[in-house]
Parts: sequence; C-alpha cells; structure tokens
Amino acid sequence: MREYRVILIEENRLMLERMAGVIRNTKDFQLLAKEKELRLALSSDVSPNLILLDIDAPGNMVKVGEVIRNFPKAAILCLGAQWDGETASTVVKAGAKGYLIKPFTSEELVEAVANIGKSGQGNDCEILTFFSPKGKSGKTTLIANLALALAEKSRQEVAVIDADLQFGDMAVFFNLEPQSTIVEAVRDIKFLSPLTLNSYFVPVNDNVRVLCGTKRPELAENVRPKDFFNLLQMARSLYRYVLIDVSSGFNPISVAAADAAESVYLMAMMSGGFELEHIRRALDVFSVWPDCREKLKLVFTRVEPCTKREQDHLSELVAYPVSAVLPNEYLLVAAAANNGRMAADIKPESPLARCVDRLAAAIYSGG
Amino acid sequence: MAASLAQAGNSVCIVDLDLQFGDVCHYLQLEPEKTIFDAQQAIVQNEADFFAENYSTSYSCGEVDFSVLAAPLKMEEAYNISAPAVQRVINSLRPQFDYIVVDTTAAFSELNLAVMDQSTLITFVGIVDFIPTIKNMKIGYDTMRSIGYEKNRIRFVLNRSDAKTSIAPEDVEQLLEERFYHVLPNNFSAAMGSIDRGLPLVLDREPTALGRSLQELVTKYTTGTAVTAGGHKSVKSWVRRLLK
Repeated sequence: MREYRVILIEENRLMLERMAGVIRNTKDFQLLAKEKELRLALSSDVSPNLILLDIDAPGNMVKVGEVIRNFPKAAILCLGAQWDGETASTVVKAGAKGYLIKPFTSEELVEAVANIGKSGQGNDCEILTFFSPKGKSGKTTLIANLALALAEKSRQEVAVIDADLQFGDMAVFFNLEPQSTIVEAVRDIKFLSPLTLNSYFVPVNDNVRVLCGTKRPELAENVRPKDFFNLLQMARSLYRYVLIDVSSGFNPISVAAADAAESVYLMAMMSGGFELEHIRRALDVFSVWPDCREKLKLVFTRVEPCTKREQDHLSELVAYPVSAVLPNEYLLVAAAANNGRMAADIKPESPLARCVDRLAAAIYSGG
Repeated sequence: MAASLAQAGNSVCIVDLDLQFGDVCHYLQLEPEKTIFDAQQAIVQNEADFFAENYSTSYSCGEVDFSVLAAPLKMEEAYNISAPAVQRVINSLRPQFDYIVVDTTAAFSELNLAVMDQSTLITFVGIVDFIPTIKNMKIGYDTMRSIGYEKNRIRFVLNRSDAKTSIAPEDVEQLLEERFYHVLPNNFSAAMGSIDRGLPLVLDREPTALGRSLQELVTKYTTGTAVTAGGHKSVKSWVRRLLK
C-alpha cells in the first residue's frame, strides 16, 4: 500500500482545516503541510508525493506548471467547489493528474489517488464519435463490437456513450437494464465529479462500461449540448477510450460529439440507394475542419465483396480514403442483437469479427 | 404512392422534409432549381404573392405527372428551415392539390411534429429485421399515442415483410398491440431496378409484387379513408383543453 505525503493548499481557513482533518484521518496519508497561500507551500522544505491544490483561489490555476517544477516527484490533484470541464481540461493539460471536488471524504480521496495510476486520467483519452447521415448504417453494431475488441487489446478502460437520444439501441445490444441513463447524467452534470459520473455507466465487463440511452424520446430535448459537452470532458478523466453513438444527421448533439472527438467515423451501409451521395454531402460539411483528413475516417458496412479492391474503389468514388469496410453478415448481427450478445462473441472467426478486430488494432496502435 | 395517386387522376405534390439528406429527387432523377428553402424565403417575405408552383419541380412519366417540393440544395439552407414557415407553405399547397405526400426523417423533431399535426394520415413505416428495430417501432408508436394522435390517424405499414429474419410479423403485432394496416413484400431487385431507372414501381409496365402491393396500399387509402374535412383538432388545442 502506498504512503502519501501530502501538501494541502486552500485559501479558505475553515475548508483548509476540514480537509486537513480528513487527510489526517485517512489511512496511509500523512499531512506534511497545510497552507492558505501557494507561495508559502512552494517555499517549504518538505518532499511530498501528493499535492492538493485549490484552484478556485484566483491565480492558482496558472501556477500548476510551477508547482510541478518545484515538486517534480509529486502528483497534483486540483481542488474545486464545482466540476468545470474547461478548467479540468486546462489543469490536466498543464500536468495535473486530476480534479477533486471539495470538501472530500476519506473514501473519495483514496479513490481519486487510486485513479491516478489508471490510464485515462485526462491526458490520454481518445474520444471516437460514430456519425452517419441516415439511419441503418451499422453504427451501433460496430461500436458495440469495437468497444469490446478495444478493451481486450488495450486492457484499458473503454466507455460507450449512447447519445442517440430518441432511439438509442446500446442497452438492447448489450442486454442492459440501466438504472440511470444519459439523460440523468447530463441533467446532474453540474453536481458530479468523475467518480460519481462513473456510477451512471453500467459495467459490461471489467474494462467496458456503457452510459445507456433513454427509453423515452420526449426526455431527449432535456439534454443540452453544453452539458453534454461537459459530460464528455469529465469522461476523459475516467476512460482511455470513449465511443459515442449519435443519432443520424447533423444536429446539436451529433455536432457536439464530433467536435469533442479525436476521431470521427463517418459511416454508411451499402444498400443500393444513394449512400454515396449522402457521404459526399457529409464530407462537404466536415471538410471545413482544418484537421479533417486526420480526424475524419470513412467506414462502409455491408460491402460486397468485402475486399481491399472494393475499398479502394469506394475511396475513388467519394474522393476520400476509406478506413475500413465491413462485410454483410446480416444473420449473424441479427442473431447477436436478438440475444443481447455480440457478433464477435457468437462467431469470433467470422469476417465481421475479424474486420472489427483489425480496426481495433489500428486504433490501439494509434493509426 | 404519389405516382399511383396521380395515375388515378389526382393532383399530387410530394414534399421532401428529409432536409439534410433527402432522396426524393435522387430517386426520380430530378434536378430541382427551387426548393422548400426558396419557398420558405418567399412565403416569409410576402405571403400574399406566394405561389407554391413556382417552387416545385414537375415529374412526368408518360401520362402521369405530379409535383415535388424538393429538400434544400445546400446544407446551410437545411439548418435554416423553420417549422412554422413549412406549415405555412404546406397550407398554401392545400388548395392546389388533392394529395400532399410528405417524406420525413425518423425523429420526433419540431418540424416532424408540426407536419404530423397538419396531416390527415400518418403512415408509420417499419421493418422487422431485429429486436432493436422493433423496440424503436414500439417506442415511436407509444410516443405518438402519448402526444395525442388518435389511433385512426396512424397507419402501420410493414416493409420488407418476408426478408430473411427470425421474427414473424404476428409477433411484432402482438408487441405493438396493433395490426399492420398493410404489409409490403421484400423485393430488393425490383426496388433496385426502380432506383436505377428513376421509375416508380407502380408505373412500371412490368408488374412486380412490390409494385402491386404499393398500388393496393394506395387503393386502401383512397377508398378506406372517409375523413371529414377539418374533422380533427390540432394537437396543441387538445393539449390546451387537457391542461385547463
């Protein structure tokens, strides 16, 4: 069990004493120093391995870098009275290892430092949004199977967020009966911290959790894009990969999810209709992103024959590189979804499972 | 449907409210110069001088012709369509056409709710490929009922009914607690042929099972429906009465 030697910085005297008390009462935590002012802490002579820094105090937030330079062996957790996605993101980029809501209990403190060890604490999270112009793209099937494949390859935390607000299918695909859904999570986001947000996600296995959609479409309009964005920012500090399903077309939520993501997968199913036309139209919209080529990846499903040659042919037709093509395995997919199981579980050697696996490998290796 | 109604001698207009990715003009191989966006701009500027025909595109095949009010050409235009303006446009179409057939997206959006409000009949099209689809049909139907649309305004149509699936239409009917008003057969090659040629199935000289079934649906609608003009109240007034 690790021993934590802590410096606590908090400008409010009462809050300072309160948190100091909690630290002293927490097993394996030793309070080396408590200061109201950061500069006093910086000039102190002790060697902590954990610094709890209040960033509600004006001026402290920009000093995160300085604190790190002063105490290179210490991990910094920033303290705030309320979660704020932008702030959390900023301090983590500056080198902090996390953000804790104050005042905290012993349990919360212990869990917060436990999460420091886990990857996905801010710096390293990849958000992947799956976008389709129209429904019936095979998006949900891909996301569900890919989440499991990614978790298996990376052995890190993967989350799926069902932001297809009116008709999301993730819960059915994973055979889940969630107690809380994305609607509640977004509604409550102002009061949540990463630890409490995690409890809205339902675990599928050791490494995969799902934030399910709502069963009532009328609740969808309660989900405000800004709150949804904050939820995504908070999720960054919890998971290594976040896969987001959105409803089809360009709408405030699908656009927010696309903006927040490191990668956007634009998907369509080959059905003999006007899919290519839709993809071209969507590509036109996405091409305003300066980093479109790095960020936007094209995936076609139900491709027959599912070959590299066909993939290249499709790339030519839409004048954009196609990242992956998935085969038509309608019966397998239907059987899986009808039984709340994954296609890859039912038939791991199937062409579909192998394609998903290849895609997971590419994502994991940073491709 | 539009082709079938037109063939029977009615004046028909299709309105494509799949604003971002509408396919009506793709399907009919039309290249519209004006769209619903132009119609909106015009009606908002000057309702008195607004003539819907100026904004619709004509489709004809042999002796059959009907009009299409196309989805916007540009994405920015699609983002700027307002539901009240569209309602006004549709209202102004009413005197000129016997039938207005509206294509929508699969969502409860402000626009879709507004136009369902105005509609005499809402055709709820579903397929039964696997459980998630059926779940969504049920949710959609329950939601529509809870909004206040009367049962006899909604017609369930099952598409691709005999496609290879392990779920029987009867099972779905049980789940939905509703019978399908009409069932369309699966006929992928006929549909593909129709798309390739830009020719509605009902107008094809070579009859297909799908074409005939579509024809039957239209016949059911035109002979079965005896809705009195203005016989249904709008949802908003229904809700107002409820809240009094």
